Amino acid sequence: MRPTLVLGNGPCVFVLGPESPRATGPFLLDSDPRHAADRFEAIAPAVLPTRLYGALEGVPPGSRLLAFPPSLARALAEALRRPVDGPTLEELRRGRSALPPLEPTLERRFFLALGHLRLERALRAPEEVLITLAREEERLERSVGREARAAESFLSVPDSPLERHAAEWERARSVLSAHADALRQTLEAEARRQLPNLSAVVGPRVAARLVAAAGSVDALARMPSARIQLLGSRRRPSPERGPRFGVLYRADRLLEVPLGRRGAYARSLAAIAAIAARADASTHRDISAGLVARRDRRIDALRRTRR
Amino acid sequence: MRPGRRFEPFEGSPRLVEVARADRRELWTEAVGDPPPVYGERWTEVLGHRYRLFEPGRSKLAAAIVRGWVGDLPAPGERWLYLGAATGTTVSHVADMVGPEGRVYAVERSIRPFARLLTLADRWPNLRPILADARGPLSYASLVPPVDGVYVDIAQVDQLAIAMANASLLASGEGSRLLIALKTASMGRLLSANAHRQSAERTLSASTALVPSVSLEPFHKAHFLIGGRWGRNARLPAPRRERPTTPRGPRRGRRAR
Repeated sequence: MRPTLVLGNGPCVFVLGPESPRATGPFLLDSDPRHAADRFEAIAPAVLPTRLYGALEGVPPGSRLLAFPPSLARALAEALRRPVDGPTLEELRRGRSALPPLEPTLERRFFLALGHLRLERALRAPEEVLITLAREEERLERSVGREARAAESFLSVPDSPLERHAAEWERARSVLSAHADALRQTLEAEARRQLPNLSAVVGPRVAARLVAAAGSVDALARMPSARIQLLGSRRRPSPERGPRFGVLYRADRLLEVPLGRRGAYARSLAAIAAIAARADASTHRDISAGLVARRDRRIDALRRTRR
Repeated sequence: MRPGRRFEPFEGSPRLVEVARADRRELWTEAVGDPPPVYGERWTEVLGHRYRLFEPGRSKLAAAIVRGWVGDLPAPGERWLYLGAATGTTVSHVADMVGPEGRVYAVERSIRPFARLLTLADRWPNLRPILADARGPLSYASLVPPVDGVYVDIAQVDQLAIAMANASLLASGEGSRLLIALKTASMGRLLSANAHRQSAERTLSASTALVPSVSLEPFHKAHFLIGGRWGRNARLPAPRRERPTTPRGPRRGRRAR
């Protein structure tokens, strides 16, 4: 005897009985697409429509009951108190091809709601918050610098519209600077919390920028130190005189290193940063004291061996 | 449209039109969404229909058509699965080609490009964005119905495996289309671009009736469009008439208005 297959299809659930080639349904998770998307993401016995349970009452206790996706199978097993398996790939293909198309407006609104829901959840992840803050902080830093440079070369004369404009502009710049400072503090606190080792080695702002450039902490942890050294660099590596720094140029204590030795320091710092990133991504142990000591020893050595 | 330019239907796809220019042929797709510009491309309105320029320098699919791709293209009313949708540049043109009755299920994994894709889906009524990893087709198998074609534009080392896993689970059956914009630079540096293409064709030929691949040079370096019809016994489409094509590199330093 062929099994009964329960298939989730976006905001709907269908039942394919053992005899009939036609699907029974649709059983809507919710008529509101946003609620349906919520329920789709967390299918549980309570969110399944009552009519679906009614349609499954006729399934004999000894027969096979299959369901897809796995969250639907778990919810049905819990609600019906009987084993509910997942279909094989062939059963899934056959079942999917028997489903009728969804009503276009319902389908569209469901996909948009699900997209917004997933996007919002993804953006709430602490790592994504850090990346967004790092990008915004970098952008604001550029804006503040650009406005300051423009203000330096602005010419004004007393008692004129130019002076009034200059005064208003200065107020706007001070507000922008205050916002940039506040954002920097938030970013640094977040980076110290999420990346304690990397923040200690290169500074919290640079740590956050490295993660933003890599895409994620895991991606940064998988990178070799040579790539970390050049992350954020706009020039391409070349066998001749390629770039020696990317984001790392703004690392703590780099400016204490003699000018001709900064490339060598960036190389060593990237190696230490790679270890720090791996500790932050996987073991989560605080090994910052040892790494910082190693970094400081390297700085001292480079300051002694001036080229 | 300026006088003197004439839109002619492109033989391979009814919602794709071409315009003969002095030195090349331009491709335009009839826009499904409103308002037309998606990524700053040129657009025009002719007799109540809005067309958007389909630039080979911006889209690998357009480059393949210009370079003489003879295989299937998305046709009106079809359902396509698009893997690696990014911000929706090519996706919007595929959605134009399948028309208002068709559907494009666009899978993207990165959240920032997906945010822009979602904004596009608000305007493009036949686009269905999905935030998911294309390596796990089972995670969106309950969202995507059986599709008539799968278009893969994922610059990953396992792009072929991703394409085949998706096609075997989500394609509607033998004869459905599979198009892969193959980026050979992502597949390792030990083999040349052509060796990667040949290796990919060998792998695909076990499950797909292949049409001749095309190189996307000079528009996209070390890229190929490979694919055909899914299924070992699938029949290939009848060959179209030869069209004179003039490949021309992307315009550098000049932005589309």
